Amino acid sequence: MIELKDDKLVYTFPDTTTPGARLVISFVRTLRVPDDGKSYPLPPGLGKFPLEHVDDYRQRLPQSWIEHGGVMLPLYQSEALWINFTSSYIEEHAARYPFAVKVAAGKINAVNGESWSNSLSRDPQDYMVVPGQPWLDGYSVDKECIRQFVAMPLGKGYSAEGQITGREDAGGLQIAVYPMKKEAFEKRWPRRKTAAVVSECVAVKFSMMDDGMGLAGGGRIHQEIYEDCFKLSEWDPTASSRCFVHLANSQTWRDITGNTPPTKAPSAREYSSHGLPWFEYYSDQKPLPGSHVLHKLKSVIQPGKEKRENPLPENDSVEPGHIIAINRPQSPERVREWPEQNRYERTSGPDGPGDD
Amino acid sequence: MNATFGSYIREKREALKEKDSRYSLRQVASRVGIEPSYLSKIERGLPAPLSEEKVRALSLDLGENQDILLALSGKISSDVQNIIRTRPELFADLIRQLKEMPDHAVLRLVREVRNGNW
Repeated sequence: MIELKDDKLVYTFPDTTTPGARLVISFVRTLRVPDDGKSYPLPPGLGKFPLEHVDDYRQRLPQSWIEHGGVMLPLYQSEALWINFTSSYIEEHAARYPFAVKVAAGKINAVNGESWSNSLSRDPQDYMVVPGQPWLDGYSVDKECIRQFVAMPLGKGYSAEGQITGREDAGGLQIAVYPMKKEAFEKRWPRRKTAAVVSECVAVKFSMMDDGMGLAGGGRIHQEIYEDCFKLSEWDPTASSRCFVHLANSQTWRDITGNTPPTKAPSAREYSSHGLPWFEYYSDQKPLPGSHVLHKLKSVIQPGKEKRENPLPENDSVEPGHIIAINRPQSPERVREWPEQNRYERTSGPDGPGDD
Repeated sequence: MNATFGSYIREKREALKEKDSRYSLRQVASRVGIEPSYLSKIERGLPAPLSEEKVRALSLDLGENQDILLALSGKISSDVQNIIRTRPELFADLIRQLKEMPDHAVLRLVREVRNGNW
């Protein structure tokens, strides 16, 4: 079951997981890192994107969006985003509940570059494991490197979907979440004290513009996608929840929703010139090798040059002078408490934009 | 104003007054912006209508839930009314369906993000 609460997607599986198990996903505004061939540290979080149910604006949205269902958020052209993942801490078991998360952009899996499928695959691994993977900033193009998610209009061939499939029909983001089986979780982390009573959830389903945007691969960021250290059989493939996240152009957000979209993010140069921090995340988990399919993605700059367009204004290289290290010493198997909150929202803990 | 509303606010006011003398009839009436004699009529269940604004002021002064006091006074808050008016058939149907649902289930009603066809 997926709820939209406070601009966050909250995934719960009341019938099949330990009470209190919950995954929270939010979409975070950030700087666009320069697309210049260099690899940058993690850019900061600048607040959550607002999220709205597409069903609330049916009269003003393309029919395809209504068919997809899901939610939408506003992005300016060439704006970047990252995705924050937080799983809930289960007090009685002294551990955070594990979830397997698949993320695709334009129905191209951001981890392995394959077309969307409604199942978990290990060969190659096409999902991430939370906790353990706190964020995803883009397409996994190398072992320690991703290409940043950058919004571009559909129909121009910038997106990964366009480059890989030759078409840009889907756009947006697609997310599916699979919980760990309750028995597997409780075997790994046996109960320590009497569980608290959890109230029942009763779900009630009640139910002019262009086609939105897709996500291209922008500048390079040093980020790893970690290998799943659990057995595939420990995930519950029958209990997944999926959501389509549409990307509306911020220029039309007010026309659609009546609400003012967030302002444009500062450029990387503007941000760094004020001495504000970037981030590095260190973990002892084993990283995946990166997708050989996504490795061949052209970044936004290349097709832009071919089309004689300038899709990335303010793309000057920067030297991030202030880098904060966020250390995550334990692997997901041994997860206990998260480190202390970082005030720039690039936390590896529960109080970031995707908090409990 | 009905007897239930009147007796409810009288009971709450007098309980507060036992600990704090600022909850006399006169002082509460003054803070809410009505005559003490009018508040007395209300507490005795005599016909004495109060606007939504005054019911809200009274509930704030007594530390009571506004929606409860509004309901006791025979009103539904105007923001809830406006919501119902946007889709009257839908909300009326929903409320009728929920009529028998236990409290804890009603309190945990959620709206799901719909997964469509893709």
